[in-house]
Amino acid sequence: MEEDEFFGEETFQHYCAEFIKHSQKIGDGWEWRTSKEALEPPLDDFEVTEPTTATEVIKYEYHVLYSCSYQVPVLYFRASFLDGSPLALKDIWEGVHECYKTRLLHRPWDTITQQEHPILGQPFFVLHPCKTNEFMTPVLKNSQKINRNVNYITSWLSMVGPAVGLNLPLSYARAAFQDEGNVNRQDSSIEPKSLEEP
Amino acid sequence: MTDDKDVLRDVWFGRIPTCFTLYQDEITEREAEPYYLLLPRVSYLTLVTDKVKKHFQKVMRQEDISEIWFEYEGTPLKWHYPIGLLFDLLASSSALPWNITVHFKSFPEKDLLHCPSKDVIEAHFMSCVKEADALKHKSQVINEMQKKDHKQLWMGLQNDRFDQFWAINRKLMEYPAEENGFRYIPFRIYQTTTERPFIQKLFRPVATDGQLHTLGDLLKEVCPSAVAPEGSGRAGPAATAHGPSRSAARGIFPDRGTNPRPLHRQVDSQPLHHQGSPILTLISLFQSSG
Repeated sequence: MEEDEFFGEETFQHYCAEFIKHSQKIGDGWEWRTSKEALEPPLDDFEVTEPTTATEVIKYEYHVLYSCSYQVPVLYFRASFLDGSPLALKDIWEGVHECYKTRLLHRPWDTITQQEHPILGQPFFVLHPCKTNEFMTPVLKNSQKINRNVNYITSWLSMVGPAVGLNLPLSYARAAFQDEGNVNRQDSSIEPKSLEEP
Repeated sequence: MTDDKDVLRDVWFGRIPTCFTLYQDEITEREAEPYYLLLPRVSYLTLVTDKVKKHFQKVMRQEDISEIWFEYEGTPLKWHYPIGLLFDLLASSSALPWNITVHFKSFPEKDLLHCPSKDVIEAHFMSCVKEADALKHKSQVINEMQKKDHKQLWMGLQNDRFDQFWAINRKLMEYPAEENGFRYIPFRIYQTTTERPFIQKLFRPVATDGQLHTLGDLLKEVCPSAVAPEGSGRAGPAATAHGPSRSAARGIFPDRGTNPRPLHRQVDSQPLHHQGSPILTLISLFQSSG
């Protein structure tokens, strides 16, 4: 696929690889998975299981996928009780912290909707991707200005994740800062690190 | 595009005769008669089945009714897929009418999205239109429209108003004169043979040498297993681009290369556009029996 896009699929894979490296270091459970279809470039996702410590244990599953239509990552997630019964949208909504509710309510395109997972074909909740570029562009522009390495995935996930219960440890930010590969958008010859494929 | 107006109308007004039967384990106060309805191919199940719901709820008690869902031969029907797509994928080789079973309990949480209101259908539909425009025009056309234009698209679909719908949709089907076409073709390929729900990739309508791509080019690139090698003598899989009954529409069955019609023109001329979410082209692939 051509790389005339700001955040193309190869760039996505590169940042995910860096992200996974740190995840493996701290053992917080992210995995890199490719879809089984050999014929296509994979729409990759990775997931983590984070039980809460509240009285009722809820299992959250997060997947980060790449949208080639919007050329941004998209966060898919679902939640279930330990007996397997799924949480409904209103239950998810109740779990969203107050400070995020206003933001989600005022910007319909940030809102959580139920969608079909494009690889698994099952219902997931999704944060709509069409405004991602709007809030990511200033972050990336600024980091270029001060000449600081930024991992797009880490920055993006740290912004959208907390609204839906996903909090990234701060060590990810430090890892991104130390990351050797600062992907310059003019440089289209970046080689993504080779990934293990099952 | 005016010479394709007939095709646009044929596609829009395509109908599938359907027989709805209540699931035998639903609790009823008296026998429920089946309900017959002509379903618009371009629309969505939960948008056009209010009468079906009312008909069966008349013989049931309120406490036995929760969210309605539909099933065909054991497969829960995804309401967020256009009706024509569902039929072509699952039931096109069976005799008409299409027999659908209606359920009011045991909603299959792992298979189906919830549809608590018409707003959810509208949001889904508009989301498809927007994603398609992201591919065609980097979202410029859809974002320049006013809210009332978006509303008109939806109302046109909801109320089966071809002219009302196309008054707005034609803007989404245009491209600047200096361009040769859309940026990318919005399409999805559905197959019954794979686990993955659909194939969707970036695909340009024009090759680097300026040649217009055909549907065959697209299939060869994104779904080569679906295309029989030329001269192989095998019938190979057939592709249906979502449209109405085959006899009625021109250009609906891509004939695997002997009559290539530029993909872009087909996109323009609507047959390759799925009517319900008219910006995303939906192509279902199935093995022909020949």
